[in-house]
Amino acid sequence: MDLTQATYARWLDVATRAGFAISLLAFLVYVSGLVEPFVPLEQLPQLWTLPAARFVQVTGEPTGWGWLGMLGYADFLNLAAVALFGVVTLVCYARIVPLLFAEGERLQACIALAQVLVLAAAAAGFFTGGR
Amino acid sequence: MEVTTAIPWWVWPIALAAVGFLIGVVAVLAGIGGGVLFVPIVGSFFPFHLDFVRGAGLLFALAGTLAAGPQLLRSGMASLRLVMPLGLAGSICSVAGAIVGLGMNADLLQGLLGALVIAIAVVIWRARSAEGGLVDPDALARLLKLEGKFTDPAAGTRIDWRTHRTLGGFAAFGAIGFLGGVFGLGAGFANVPALNLLMAAPLKVAVGSSALIISIINSSAAWVYIHRGAVLPLLVVPAILGVMLGSRLGARLLERVPAHLVRWLVIVVMLAAGMRALLRGTGLWI
Repeated sequence: MDLTQATYARWLDVATRAGFAISLLAFLVYVSGLVEPFVPLEQLPQLWTLPAARFVQVTGEPTGWGWLGMLGYADFLNLAAVALFGVVTLVCYARIVPLLFAEGERLQACIALAQVLVLAAAAAGFFTGGR
Repeated sequence: MEVTTAIPWWVWPIALAAVGFLIGVVAVLAGIGGGVLFVPIVGSFFPFHLDFVRGAGLLFALAGTLAAGPQLLRSGMASLRLVMPLGLAGSICSVAGAIVGLGMNADLLQGLLGALVIAIAVVIWRARSAEGGLVDPDALARLLKLEGKFTDPAAGTRIDWRTHRTLGGFAAFGAIGFLGGVFGLGAGFANVPALNLLMAAPLKVAVGSSALIISIINSSAAWVYIHRGAVLPLLVVPAILGVMLGSRLGARLLERVPAHLVRWLVIVVMLAAGMRALLRGTGLWI
């Protein structure tokens, strides 16, 4: 388990640092105007007072995984960068599953595998009708 | 609404970074998760709809705990063995909570948030800790091997610890995950008592493991908000950057600032934000 914990820590460290760096870079691209956003920044103060469902309706933004096809816009590029934080734990767990099996920690390995499945299902939009 | 829309858009990310910075300083000094301050403060005093505030709050708490995780794991303050089963229960329930939260009426949600934040302030005020250590583990704790060793450099002691009341722990983390998903909170305020007082993990192991559990619970709930269009990067990134810088300053100030003063400051801020949310939710003060 010590090896597993050390491995988890190492992967968490690298993935989180990468997430922060990419998010900062994408945010600078977004606010600098280098790449055009789908929803102009000037319009956001009129829109961010709306409920999320209404916001999506008014702006025509896609839900689920639809934003993957919009990465040419600065706001969706930034969303992709922020979404990386939601992948970090999934990646770390996926890394330790084989280690736990190799150490003979079958119950812990099954728990880790179940966590991977829950996170993957959430990311895939299985619970929310993502597409 | 007219006043807020007259303010240029770029003022808000700067204000969010400033709030994130202050929360980062105070949260470290008070020993609480910043997420529990972010949602009530930003939800009560900023113009954004609560959907976006909760989406940002989840990612705010997630980023902070992900950043702290490696050091906590290496120092032994967080136990992956303890975190894995409880995090699984919490993350499943957090997805359900996020779905329920995004379907709720905003005023009702704001009122409930206000009541919850006031209750949390009372919990922080009344919180006590137990030393933890060698309790008699139940059958499930033995099966899951919820035990470990922790060296406390400050006290110069090595602690062998075990936990008990495992089923109660699962129920507690299920409830914590659900509330975290509904309100977009990190739930360190509840994780630490559940691990320490209920399951008898040593306090430092409870604090460290709590941060790691938040990172797992919030990872699954965050996807619900992302898929429903309730995450605005313009709100998330400045707040995350602010809290990162603030946490570093907080860690440096830790030895100089009296912790009990900061604790009282947090309680007062939470009571004020909680009252504001409650009054806003009930329509008494829009």
